[in-house]
Amino acid sequence: MLDVKNLTFRYPDTETTWRFTFQVDHGQCIAINGPSGSGKSTLLNLLAGFLTPESGTIHWQSRLLNDLPPWDRPVTSLFQEHNLFEHLDVQTNIGLGMHPGLKLSAEQKQAISRGLASVGMAGFESRMPGDLSGGQRQRVAFLRALLRDQPILLLDEPLTGLDAEARTQLRSLLLRHKAAGKVLVLASHDAEDRKILADKQLNL
Amino acid sequence: MRQFPFGSTQAPLSHPGWQIGPGLIIAGSLLALTIAGLAAMLWQAHLPEVAKLWQNRYLGNVIRFTIWQATLSTALSLVLGLLIALALARQPRFRGRSLLLRMMELSLVLPTIVAVSGLVGVYGRHGWLTSVVEHWTTVRWNLYGLNGIVLAHVFFNAPLAGRILLQALESVPAPRRRVASQLGLTGWWLWRTLDWPAVRRVLPGIAALVFTLCFTSFAIVMTLGGGPASTTLEVAIYQSLRFEFDFGRAALLAIVQLAICGAIWLFMVRRGLSANLSPQRSFSETIRRPDSQGITRLWDAALLVCFALFLLLPLAAILLQGLPGLVTVAVDGGTSLADLAEATLRSFAIALPAGAFSVLSALLVLALAGRGGPQLARLSSVATAVPLMVPPIVLGTGLFLLLRPSLGHSSQGLALVALINGLMALPFVTQLLKGPLAGLDQATAQQADQLGVLGWYRWRWLHWPRLKRPLALAMAYGTGLSLGDFGVIALFGTPGQPTVPVLLYQQLGSYRMELAAGTALWLLTLLLLVFATFNLPGYRKRKQSRHQNDALNTLAEARHA
Repeated sequence: MLDVKNLTFRYPDTETTWRFTFQVDHGQCIAINGPSGSGKSTLLNLLAGFLTPESGTIHWQSRLLNDLPPWDRPVTSLFQEHNLFEHLDVQTNIGLGMHPGLKLSAEQKQAISRGLASVGMAGFESRMPGDLSGGQRQRVAFLRALLRDQPILLLDEPLTGLDAEARTQLRSLLLRHKAAGKVLVLASHDAEDRKILADKQLNL
Repeated sequence: MRQFPFGSTQAPLSHPGWQIGPGLIIAGSLLALTIAGLAAMLWQAHLPEVAKLWQNRYLGNVIRFTIWQATLSTALSLVLGLLIALALARQPRFRGRSLLLRMMELSLVLPTIVAVSGLVGVYGRHGWLTSVVEHWTTVRWNLYGLNGIVLAHVFFNAPLAGRILLQALESVPAPRRRVASQLGLTGWWLWRTLDWPAVRRVLPGIAALVFTLCFTSFAIVMTLGGGPASTTLEVAIYQSLRFEFDFGRAALLAIVQLAICGAIWLFMVRRGLSANLSPQRSFSETIRRPDSQGITRLWDAALLVCFALFLLLPLAAILLQGLPGLVTVAVDGGTSLADLAEATLRSFAIALPAGAFSVLSALLVLALAGRGGPQLARLSSVATAVPLMVPPIVLGTGLFLLLRPSLGHSSQGLALVALINGLMALPFVTQLLKGPLAGLDQATAQQADQLGVLGWYRWRWLHWPRLKRPLALAMAYGTGLSLGDFGVIALFGTPGQPTVPVLLYQQLGSYRMELAAGTALWLLTLLLLVFATFNLPGYRKRKQSRHQNDALNTLAEARHA
């Protein structure tokens, strides 16, 4: 279970202090609701370790995450854009999620090819991100998250800007991921996304 | 499911110490070396003698002449640079514009002694232009002395000033230029509303930069000075050390020079004028200006052609006069060829380590700036700026005094030359690498952090693809600057073991003009070879690199937007 208790944060030179408390179980998705500037992305950055909270705790399976650096946390982030390294091809982008030095076994390389085929992108290994559509880029980023195999997926408007077909496809991939027991934390303006994916809501 | 934590232990060299330690050692050593050199000078200088310095007529004259020639050179360089920048801004479709801009870049890398050889070929006693002018008019011209010094300084610095000023003129936001174009503003009002506000921001900085370069110029004054009446501080320091063995006086002069240069740089840093003073290659979109037509167009074209000839003629002289000299050396063989071959090897033995040292130091110090917090960033910034504040001859003098007792073998002197050459190239190399190394935006850095792409892996996958070409260019700059050096080597080298620039100086000094022209052409060829060699991998993979660079640029633009 992901357990966030009285987590507070304030940007330097600002008055507003955000406070977050919620819990999410395995195989659940929590949707973070609120207008722009209400702290949705801030919460995701706190969970990922990109920001340091003033107080409060983040526990995963009873283990405190607060002091862990981003690379040691059991999370993967999926943003609206800029998820891929633009100068590296698709296979390298995914492979870096499996080993940060790209030391991959033959099995892992096969897993990348199989994964690409499973998201309708067979043979895209050597393509550059700049050659892909928005939907394809998000599928590559999602595949990296999938193969990275972390229990918590942080989603910051991951479907915004995609066409209807790409949205539907990515939604079904996320639902499958959730069904596999992963925790999803979703920040999205889109009511339909929240309705389809989320099991519980957190209003900011 | 993978167990966490992971990542931190997998990436080699990911401990923060690896990112900070080596840079800290290099930055600390640079500062320690400079402070030790200056301390050695102070120890030798006997400060109470400063008052006597002003009473010494010769030294007083040296200081006055140094200031006078630098002021005159700066004023003329800025005026010519501004006129050229305005003409180029008015005429974006001028035929040969990009070629002229490339020629203006040459001033950054052309060895001074080579340019001097070209200037002698055009403006010297038997130079092309001198012969024509003296044949058709009664005007008599002597290149040696103040004339030649100022001419050479303008040859080097007007293009530099012109490029920076053009960049400033073209940095005016496009909408503002469109408004001026629509309103049909010309003349005074165009200058008042558009050009002057852009130029005013960079003018004090360029003036300080050009003044410092002219103030500390060595090779030009050595070769074109023509006698004691035209001696500058740098040359006086050199003479005190090499011929009079008066270390105290050399130290005193070096301190005077340091005080003046340091004050100028302090002024620049305080006013925030040191940033963006190196010209960039790319220029913004061209919008037709209302004042680019009619008589102005003719005037601009004439000015640009004259300026192109001003830059081109000395280069043509090097080529045309050097070719026969080089062929003679190659055909005759003998001692001339052996001398040139030995000097070439010696030059590379100094220049390659100097280039490598400057690139490695720049990388490590920049890494320190990027990962070490504000105080260490300041330390790294000061360490890389020190060579700009402390002229080579001053640093050289300090280290000479410091190491004099233990400097025995000539190879030790050459190692010291390589070290100081590397230090001198450091500000330029840092400037080249700073952008690509700092180009990792927040989103990419966060992604890399989350994936555990740290330490060596971060360098391999994120920095190296961006740095490959800038590194090659930086290495070419570092090596090229050292290859053409005729300042530090004059101090530490021995006449019997010259580098190519020293050999050229010796030939110029003994009026063996044909040989000198050949050597100048050879040095220029070596320089071009260095740049071509280091950029060769870039050309081979041009298509791929262009793709990568385009992607990186697009990414960077998107992030900035």
